[in-house]
Amino acid sequence: MFSQINKIIAFTYRNYLFAKRNIYAFIEVLFWPAVGVISIGLMSSFLALTPELKAFLLTGAIISGILQVAQLDVAYGFLYDVWSKSLRQTFVTPINQIHYILGSWLFGIVRGVIVFVLLGLFAKITFGFKFPDVKIIIISITGIFLSALIIGMSVQFFILFFGQRIMEIVWMISTLIMLICGIYYPVSMLPSFIRLIAEFIPVTYFLEYFRISYGFVPVFKNILIKGFGLSFIYIFILFVLLEIAMKRAKRTGMIIKLSE
Amino acid sequence: MEIIKIKNLSKTYTKGIFQKRQVRALDGIDLTIRKGELFGILGPNGAGKTTLLNIIMGQIIPEQGYVEIDGYQITKKFPDKLKQKMNMCSGNPNFPWSLTVYEILKFYGMLYGYSGLFLKNKIENLIEIFSLGKYRNVLYDELSTGNKQKLALAKAMINDPEILLLDEPTIGLDPDVARKIRKFIIDLHNRKKITILLTTHYMKEAEEMCERIAFIKQGKIKALGTKEKLKKLTKTKNLEEAFIVFAN
Repeated sequence: MFSQINKIIAFTYRNYLFAKRNIYAFIEVLFWPAVGVISIGLMSSFLALTPELKAFLLTGAIISGILQVAQLDVAYGFLYDVWSKSLRQTFVTPINQIHYILGSWLFGIVRGVIVFVLLGLFAKITFGFKFPDVKIIIISITGIFLSALIIGMSVQFFILFFGQRIMEIVWMISTLIMLICGIYYPVSMLPSFIRLIAEFIPVTYFLEYFRISYGFVPVFKNILIKGFGLSFIYIFILFVLLEIAMKRAKRTGMIIKLSE
Repeated sequence: MEIIKIKNLSKTYTKGIFQKRQVRALDGIDLTIRKGELFGILGPNGAGKTTLLNIIMGQIIPEQGYVEIDGYQITKKFPDKLKQKMNMCSGNPNFPWSLTVYEILKFYGMLYGYSGLFLKNKIENLIEIFSLGKYRNVLYDELSTGNKQKLALAKAMINDPEILLLDEPTIGLDPDVARKIRKFIIDLHNRKKITILLTTHYMKEAEEMCERIAFIKQGKIKALGTKEKLKKLTKTKNLEEAFIVFAN
């Protein structure tokens, strides 16, 4: 058991080392999320929005920052090996997908919490953002971290299945999800067929749950059951798909191609 | 005692946009490796040597054949217990470029489940054996080719493997560094009697190190035996001349 935990922590440790030496990691954690919050905060001040509407928009900016950072870490767990062509070195060791996904995700959670605290405090001081109850924060952020896990695993799946040529396209996944799940607007505004897609995206429900604190009535019912239920279903499916993709990569020689 | 048994092993890669072009990498390989043997696999470029090692290491799944290692049939499932006993090192190794020598050894050690003082002592020991002390805090990207190769070998020893796969471990190295690495492999083999599979292009290396040799060409074993047997078979004085005979 302890040895299994060690294998998971190994990937957390590696993500930490990469982040420590990479200036872009700092930009990912602070610069882009801060730019989002400042832009939205200034825009809502300019439009003289009510505190509730301002909180609605700032919630979107903060949550998108967390989601982006945490999903990147899950994807990086795999991509560091692809970029450094060391995939084969990693997979000859007695590890499986669960080790590197959970290990990278743990570091994503740490970075995500830092982003949340820093952005939240900054938004509070600068734009009067009010934090919801601790219970709502913990539940919503847990849901967002699960969504980050789903997006990161999807990125891994696509690269393992199609190779590096798909890289530019996979980065669009999180942006598309933000667009559909009502990051800066209620999903009721979306055309009906897009709203239908939004119903299958867990982030939609966690955003709605977070915004209950500011008096906004959720568009959908049973939001937490749907949010967490869908998340666990997707995570299970993605583990199965990753297993299939890994076997296929070993049949086609993709693991070796990605290591040369 | 046989530790690796390979029967009728074949692997074909499909290439091109529509995966229609087929390249036969291995074609009905039969091979057995004895426990504690230093076994050489020789052959020209594209002969299938690396594919064979990758299948033995569980990184490529063959479409046909049977591979049994230490009692485990790995073409069905490669158990972690077996991975724990094996390791590999290839020429021109790749590791995460922004990690230091120490961090790389620590990361891979952790992947074998090691931690704390046990892992620390293991790393220190390997750093000493491979004379990497001066470079412990140097990033992988900044190491010389020779030191990268030493690190790759150190990493391959992190789990004290019983079966070690070496894929052209001295390729592109200065003669001096290559000699040291060869000496280390021979010493290691003599000291611990671990099973070593070595692929190489250098015939002198094979002659100096290997007990038995398989010569592969176009995915097939053309000859198999001791150095003396191969030389006798080709009526040549050394392996280099024997290689030319087999290659043509």
